[in-house]
Amino acid sequence: MSDLAAILAVARKDLLQEVRGRAVTVATLFFSAVTLVMMAFAIGQDAALLQRSAPGVLWVALAFAGVIASAQSFQSDLEEGAFDQLLLYPVPRASVFLGKLLANWLYLTLLGLLMTPVTLVLYGAPAGPRAWLLVPTLALGTLGFALIATFYAALTANLRAREALLPVLMFPVVVPVLLGAVRASEATLQLSNAALTGGWLQLLGGFDLVYLVTCTAIFHLVVEE
Amino acid sequence: MTDPHETRKRPPWLRALGLVTLVLFAVGAYLALVVSPPDVNQGQLIRMMYAHVAVAWVCFVAVIVTALYGMLFLWQGKHLNDARAVANAEVATFFAGLTLLSGMTYSKPTLNTYWTWDAKLTLTALMFALLVGYFVVRGLIDDPTRRGRVSAVIGIVVAVSLPFNYLAAAWFRTLHPTLSVAVTGIHMAPTMLVVLLFNVGVAALVYLTFVSERVRIARLERAREEARERRERGAAEGEVVRV
Repeated sequence: MSDLAAILAVARKDLLQEVRGRAVTVATLFFSAVTLVMMAFAIGQDAALLQRSAPGVLWVALAFAGVIASAQSFQSDLEEGAFDQLLLYPVPRASVFLGKLLANWLYLTLLGLLMTPVTLVLYGAPAGPRAWLLVPTLALGTLGFALIATFYAALTANLRAREALLPVLMFPVVVPVLLGAVRASEATLQLSNAALTGGWLQLLGGFDLVYLVTCTAIFHLVVEE
Repeated sequence: MTDPHETRKRPPWLRALGLVTLVLFAVGAYLALVVSPPDVNQGQLIRMMYAHVAVAWVCFVAVIVTALYGMLFLWQGKHLNDARAVANAEVATFFAGLTLLSGMTYSKPTLNTYWTWDAKLTLTALMFALLVGYFVVRGLIDDPTRRGRVSAVIGIVVAVSLPFNYLAAAWFRTLHPTLSVAVTGIHMAPTMLVVLLFNVGVAALVYLTFVSERVRIARLERAREEARERRERGAAEGEVVRV
């Protein structure tokens, strides 16, 4: 089995499991929706303020969803002892990481595409003619979240207090992703200077590339033998 | 191990390093508080800068060294390198805390606020959070080899995150005074530069002393742990024989 086929097989397994069980969907879809509504209540009635907060709230909701989704993807494997079997296959450990990453990334991007219009409606933000740029922003931003979340979820999967530990470890690392994605979304929705989008997208792309290489290279060190 | 009492003593060079550091620390404080002229803009407040910049530089060096020793541990598997990485991470956390405290005290009178979301302050705060995560995970793993491996991995991720956190925070907003010592040239009175570099040197010596002492303690801890394991194993075997 080639490495690429192994990656696709792991991703397919995770996605199929999700389509049949819907554990992550139930946990994250309603969680993100509730976060959006709660934040809208917390921000209050000021229409201009609501509009300006839309990108920030969307990305915070996606960051929380990323934590839940990646933790769950290792948890369900560990519960039935399936993860040990996965590691026994004669493929590089990195392909297990990349497969899980691919599944988490696809899932988060879909969730983001679903949540964006909901956010825009709830927060009264106009889509504008450049709104299509939200798609690359979503793809790059959720890849950054998925990378760090999947990596740290594997690292913490066997530790006590992992539910609390994962966000504590992950959030300081993904701050550049959060900043870049929120600023790029603001620029795209014309809530700030539109010319800034490119620079922030480059930052996101650079982050994704560097961590993709780093995490893939050292993933085999974090899984328990 | 030859003689347990011999290894328990602090080696003479470390004692000497500690004394030299203490003396030079006093000299550095004298230079910063008395010899340095007041700044044109900031007046006497410039004296805080010597402490703030010195600990900030050293804390970033310590983080990088943590990652380097982590990589060495991954490569060679020697527990001494893990102990060195931890010693550096502990000193880095301490110096990051000092950087934040001195930065906040320094920025209140100069920028009229304790906290700004300034690039360098934000970077230090994030690094502090990352280092705390490093120790939380360490505390949760019992097997020394796995503990060392996971810490090394986190150390690498922390070191890789520094340039991104810096870039993002710098683009986000910056209030920090521009670098006085930069690759493009030095914009500082010669006396002040000498005082600053002297204080950076002193901070580096404090760092070296702390790290060496911490590595020494880590070796003693490990020796005791191994001795206890041997004793327990011996006791268990004794029981088996009795049965």
